[in-house]
Amino acid sequence: MVIGPFDLNALEVAVRLKERYGAQVTALTLGSGKAKDALRRALAMGADAAVLVDDGQMAPKEPSVATRALAAAVRKLGGLDLVLCGRQSGEWDFGQVGALLAEELGMPFVPFVPRLEASGDGWRLEREVEGGLLVVDVSGPCVASITNATDNQPRLPKVKDIMMANRKPIQVWGPVELGLGEEDVGEAANRLEVLELFIPEVKSECEFVEGDDGAAKGAALARKLWDRKVI
Amino acid sequence: MFELSAEDLNLSAEQKEVLAMIREFARREVRPAVKEYEPGDRYPHPLVDRMKELGLFGLTIPEEYGGAGLDHVTYALVFEELSAAWMSIAGVLGTHSIMAYVIARYGTEEQKQRFLPRMAAGELRGGLALTEPEAGSDVASIRTRARREGDAYVLNGVKTFITNSRHGTGLLVLAKTDPGAPKPSRGMSAFVFEHSGEVPGFTVRRDIPKLGYKGLDTCEIAFEDVRVPAENLVGGVEGEGFKQVMSGLEVGRINVAARAVGVARAALDDALRYSQQRVAFGKPIGRHQAIQQLLADAYAQIEAARQLVLFAARKKDRGERADLEAGAAKLFASEMCGRVTLDMMRVLGGYGYTTDFDLERYYRDAPLMIIGEGTNEIQRMVIANRLLEKYAL
Repeated sequence: MVIGPFDLNALEVAVRLKERYGAQVTALTLGSGKAKDALRRALAMGADAAVLVDDGQMAPKEPSVATRALAAAVRKLGGLDLVLCGRQSGEWDFGQVGALLAEELGMPFVPFVPRLEASGDGWRLEREVEGGLLVVDVSGPCVASITNATDNQPRLPKVKDIMMANRKPIQVWGPVELGLGEEDVGEAANRLEVLELFIPEVKSECEFVEGDDGAAKGAALARKLWDRKVI
Repeated sequence: MFELSAEDLNLSAEQKEVLAMIREFARREVRPAVKEYEPGDRYPHPLVDRMKELGLFGLTIPEEYGGAGLDHVTYALVFEELSAAWMSIAGVLGTHSIMAYVIARYGTEEQKQRFLPRMAAGELRGGLALTEPEAGSDVASIRTRARREGDAYVLNGVKTFITNSRHGTGLLVLAKTDPGAPKPSRGMSAFVFEHSGEVPGFTVRRDIPKLGYKGLDTCEIAFEDVRVPAENLVGGVEGEGFKQVMSGLEVGRINVAARAVGVARAALDDALRYSQQRVAFGKPIGRHQAIQQLLADAYAQIEAARQLVLFAARKKDRGERADLEAGAAKLFASEMCGRVTLDMMRVLGGYGYTTDFDLERYYRDAPLMIIGEGTNEIQRMVIANRLLEKYAL
């Protein structure tokens, strides 16, 4: 079990903030018992605590249901200054958890953030936009989805931190601890269904236009384009 | 990418995670740097600094002395991983770890506290100074002398083929304290010698140019009236050095055997990739029987060698004598590596012979494992003698 690539960037950003300002970093994930391996990696990289939301009694098939469970855990943790997540997961790439989490928690959301710093009583975040960067200030806590950048490459954990991570407790919360019912995270809560997954076929052809000279070739080309209704 | 399966090894979560980290380190940082240091035989200082940061120098040092206290199975797998990227990098840790093992096992409590935490941090980076110009496998005939003078021992002698002796900061030196001992092996003692700064009388005379194993310092060193504090005599008792060092060499053979597995594995990985891309006579060469023979034999031999390495490592972890098993692993794995690297070069054909590909490096590195840590010829004698002793009529 591994951590999604952008979640690793998010974790790196969190640990760097901790090193810079001093903070308590909690790694939170939703999954089966196997996800504890991923949380141990997070602890080894510098998270102080880890929480597994055990999905054994839930059916988080779509991002909104998964996010409901995660948001309940974030509320239960309480007193947070910042919630970071990867910009999209490593398997379905929906890219919705950050925005949905912000909505659930009633916090502002900033997507595609490569880096951020403390500012006033909140945060100053850089956001990647088409062809550039947008800088925003947020007062108070917010949710940010982190994108990869050269300065947030996930660090390798040290051998001793790996050993220590295996001795730290991992908290496990289920629907009961989170006060969630069947209607929140059960089968019936899922309304989105993936119908099909396919790779669109991209065809390209190469054809040499024949002709005795330039004029003949040009005429032949025009005919072909006309036949294919390009001109 | 071809990797040997670790599924059936019953590794703990922490062993798996350490190996995953080493694999990432090898892929992200070691592999891309090889071409920068290997061809010019340059010491990879930045990589060594990273190994310090990551805590690799303390892998098997007990936790109470600042290390990670990992077992020899993990140790072997780490050496395999590093060697699959660049064997010389494993060499930086090799004799360092043997020196640490000897101190942890035979040192006094005061010595363990004084040396091991600094060794685990990579601040004191060690090696073994055993071999001399006229005493290699025949360790008992070394000439380096250690004479007691007040609160110190005075060392005189020349050691050669000493890995880590230029860029490291410490050595475990084997010297004769009683040259007249009826049994020469009982007249030897091991000393922890530190040389992080200038030490009067100690010189690194020459860097020895080598076929492979490049980037790593292998030197000839000399001791001329070098004073080593008496409290650096390992275990505090004279005459124990030979036994201490021999026990350390069991660990050394496991690590050399594991390196051979790693190098051969890398060669097979390259050959598997190439044989699927290169087309000859209308199909990928991997579909030709001649190439398949080579690939199949390589795989079977690598897996077999690895099982021997793990067999010896497990025995060592149970605290049992493992010289026979470690010797067999070293003998088999290194001979295997020599054959497999040449065979995989055949798969790559002309390209395998060029320095554009990594294969020629694996091929140049392979003989180190055949010759180093006791030549295989000596290894066979040791194995046979041990068998005759164990199963004596």
